Amino acid sequence: MLKYKLLWGGLFHKKLRLILSIIGIIIGVASLLLMNSFGESAKIKTLKEIETFGPEVMMVVAGNVKVRAGRAIQTEITTTLKPSDAKVLMEINGIKYISPVFNGDGIVRYLRNTLITIINGVNEEYIKLRKFPLVEGRNFLKEEVLGYKKVAILGYKVKKELFGNKDPIGKIILINKLPFRVIGVLDKIGIDASNTDQDDQVLIPYTVAISAVYNVDYIRSIYLSVKDISEISKIEDQINKLLMKRHKVSEKNKDFTIIKAEDILKVKTQTTRIFSVLVKNVSILCLLVGALGVTAIMTLSVNERKKEIGIRKALGAKEKDILFQFLAESIFITMLGGLIGILIGILGALIFLPLFNYPLIFPLGPIITSTLLTIIFGIIAGVYPAFKASKVDPIILLKQGF
Amino acid sequence: MVKKLVILKDITKTYQTGKVSYQVLKGINLEVEKGEFLAIMGASGSGKTTLLNIIGLLDKPTSGSYILDGEEVSKLSKQELAYIRNRKLGFIFQAFHLIPWATALENVLMPLLYRKEGISKKDEERAKKLLERLGLGDRIKAKPAELSGGQQQRVAIARALIGKPKLLLADEPTGNLDSKSSEEVIKIFRELNQEGITIIMVTHDPEIAKYAKRIKIIKDGNFIEK
Ligand SMILES: Nc1ncnc2c1ncn2[C@@H]1O[C@H](COP(=O)(O)OP(=O)(O)OP(=O)(O)O)[C@@H](O)[C@H]1O
Ligand SMILES: [Mg+2]
Repeated sequence: MLKYKLLWGGLFHKKLRLILSIIGIIIGVASLLLMNSFGESAKIKTLKEIETFGPEVMMVVAGNVKVRAGRAIQTEITTTLKPSDAKVLMEINGIKYISPVFNGDGIVRYLRNTLITIINGVNEEYIKLRKFPLVEGRNFLKEEVLGYKKVAILGYKVKKELFGNKDPIGKIILINKLPFRVIGVLDKIGIDASNTDQDDQVLIPYTVAISAVYNVDYIRSIYLSVKDISEISKIEDQINKLLMKRHKVSEKNKDFTIIKAEDILKVKTQTTRIFSVLVKNVSILCLLVGALGVTAIMTLSVNERKKEIGIRKALGAKEKDILFQFLAESIFITMLGGLIGILIGILGALIFLPLFNYPLIFPLGPIITSTLLTIIFGIIAGVYPAFKASKVDPIILLKQGF
Repeated sequence: MVKKLVILKDITKTYQTGKVSYQVLKGINLEVEKGEFLAIMGASGSGKTTLLNIIGLLDKPTSGSYILDGEEVSKLSKQELAYIRNRKLGFIFQAFHLIPWATALENVLMPLLYRKEGISKKDEERAKKLLERLGLGDRIKAKPAELSGGQQQRVAIARALIGKPKLLLADEPTGNLDSKSSEEVIKIFRELNQEGITIIMVTHDPEIAKYAKRIKIIKDGNFIEK
């Protein structure tokens, strides 16, 4: 104990300077950790989303759609995609499931519970092609879809909010004031590739959606899945040609867009990768600047403590004793900054990940990376001042005026 | 048992500043026996400090031989010199040179930090006894800034003694002290010498030099023979 006081007492002597020298490190490490956590979390998120949007799934979306940041954004409302288009596509060979989709907001009510959610008008193949499991009840019947039956399948959250733990099957809910009978409940799914919360929706037959609920004659999209993934491009081509002919449009003024899981994945992983490379470099730069700060302040400190170093040497300290003392001081400063930075980083991750709808992870990998990098940077930061310190000549002590 | 603790033969020291070289010591010969108390006097700039630096192994002579405690030391490496400084020498400086953030007790123990054996509880007790003996028993927790000049110099003396050195070196130990403190310090020196410690001291002050058993005067880089 006394030994360490004698070695490092000088470090805590000037507390303000100690704090100043670790701020850079704190910022560097905290940002490194936070960014890496986001990176890791984003990876998990993308994987999860892709699961609900398999590689065999394709979307035909009305209008001109851009995939931006992994999200399909419809740039304008187009009314030219009709249910009959979906019927025609059903004839294409190699398609496994196909469903027209009309989605809109809806006010859903059961007794005194009311909520606003997304109403998805689909057919009986939709939950099969999206691989949405049911926890209660059953899927739509083909006859119910064709027969304009007012039946509904609830998303997990919708069920929880409307019914709590009660059994919803057979109960009548109101969607935009129209009565629907609940026939099923979806299992927990989470956020999918299109960044929508699939637990916050109600599925109804698309026939009812466009007629009774929204009173339109068009649909917003067609979801389909193929039997054989290797045929996906071929089928995409066929759909493209067929719809262009039916809509009498050319490649230039096309009023629909085909999106494959692959397209979304590509854009997503690309943006994630660019983002993570960027932030990694920036945060390593932060850490480097922090380390340079430690070097600068340690060099200053060595200059100020020349007398102390001279005394130690006169008393018998060897160059290597002084070298290690000051190297240890630098490493200690960086580690202290690193530790605080890691704590702030973890706290930041715990706060910001849920805030931005990212899955919450404990950033073990990033913590290890940050710790190792901090130690390395601590050593790098300390080498020069420690070397300088070890070379201080004890003769200065006997100089006049010292 | 070696009788002669310090033997300097034809020691020269030349400082080189750019193209100009300046010989400060011009062939110093000196023998110091165990138990001696030697005062080195001389005008300012005559080379007293330079000589004491060489005796204290903080600097190397340009030429000549230096045998300390039976061992030729003028050719040793910096590391070996540091080891000898730690084991055999004790320094007392004009400006005290205590470490400002450490307490009196910690300052006294500092030399032992650089010994393999480390600092034991016994050493701590010994350091406290030393401070007590030097009249600082109630100030062991004080920082240098809280002590008077005379008290600081007594802490420095305790620090020089903790390692049980063979030779105590002091450059103007009373140079920064008033006459009362100076007298206290030099009396401690005389006591220590009476207990058998060898002392070499540089001083301007004839009143202080009087306490030494032998006085040598340096002039133009050599001792004046009397
Ligand atoms: N590192 C150096 N480089 C060049 N010249 C030096 C150096 N150190 C000392 N000198 C010169 O050597 C001479 C002797 O210096 P020294 O410090 O030994 O004198 P001194 O006898 O201790 O003087 P004082 O009584 O003032 O302390 C002086 O002229 C000084 O300017
Ligand atoms: Mg001098």
